[in-house]
Amino acid sequence: MNDIQKVEGIVLQEIKNVSEIKKSVINKRTRLIGNDSILDSMKLVELCLSLTDIAEELGFEFDWTSDKAMSTSRSMFKDAGSLSNEFLRQWKNN
Amino acid sequence: MFIVTGASKGLGKAICLRLIKNNKKVLGLARDTKNLPFKSLNCDISSTEEIRSIVRIVRKQKLNITGIINAAGIASMNLALTTPSVTTEKIVQTNLLGTIYCCQLFAPFLVRNKNGTIINFSTIAVSLGLKGESIYAASKAGVESFSRAFAREMADFNISVNCIAPGPIKTDLIRGVSQKQVEKIISNQIIQKQFTPESVCDLVEILIDKRAKTLSGQVFHIGGV
Repeated sequence: MNDIQKVEGIVLQEIKNVSEIKKSVINKRTRLIGNDSILDSMKLVELCLSLTDIAEELGFEFDWTSDKAMSTSRSMFKDAGSLSNEFLRQWKNN
Repeated sequence: MFIVTGASKGLGKAICLRLIKNNKKVLGLARDTKNLPFKSLNCDISSTEEIRSIVRIVRKQKLNITGIINAAGIASMNLALTTPSVTTEKIVQTNLLGTIYCCQLFAPFLVRNKNGTIINFSTIAVSLGLKGESIYAASKAGVESFSRAFAREMADFNISVNCIAPGPIKTDLIRGVSQKQVEKIISNQIIQKQFTPESVCDLVEILIDKRAKTLSGQVFHIGGV
């Protein structure tokens, strides 16, 4: 398993945990913001806090307030895949 | 434990001392915390990096944060037309952005607990539109608007967000304001007297009390306007 697969596994699991939705319907293309998001704003914050804790265990700080968080087209929260990519990017850049 | 900004003097220091007197734990933040008689750390709240470093310390020390009191603020009593841009930027950076940064970066501690209180500070200058305080008032009007909307965002997590808007309280902040001006401002209050930091501390104590949980998104004017 390569790094991105490992991170995707972590992120999908955390989305599952906070959304309380079965894992089978959560994948890389699962939307996290916008009208078809599976998370409301409260759940999105909870997801960020969970990932912050995991990042701390991995030895880096996960910054979910970066400029990339807000852009609609390239937001890290666009979908589970983009969030995984950004999480991995911050981990590797640590 | 309460994080209190602006802890080295004025209202911030008075609030810290009051909380400690009532057996509450306090972490005071200020640009210079030398000789403060309570737990404190140097932090310029206009810098997100400095606030982030405090967040790291709080996480590392596993401090249980139950409230955030953003009392740090600066003032410059000048006509807008004669205020240098650097002063304008400094006022907005500290009063408005500093308050927003502290809320953004410290609130996650409260979100984790799904409980907590945030108190921000505005001023009577907002509601009275005081001459010579336009930039200061603008920065604090921003704090009021931010607090009202942020209160809705935090309500999901059982966190209350309110503003205290004092009149001319006797602190260093108004040392450049003449007694005549102070009296003129006070004449616009419903209760026409100059209040002390103790009155502000009383209101802080009310707002952090669990019985005040129904209050959020409000601006409380000391003396009334």
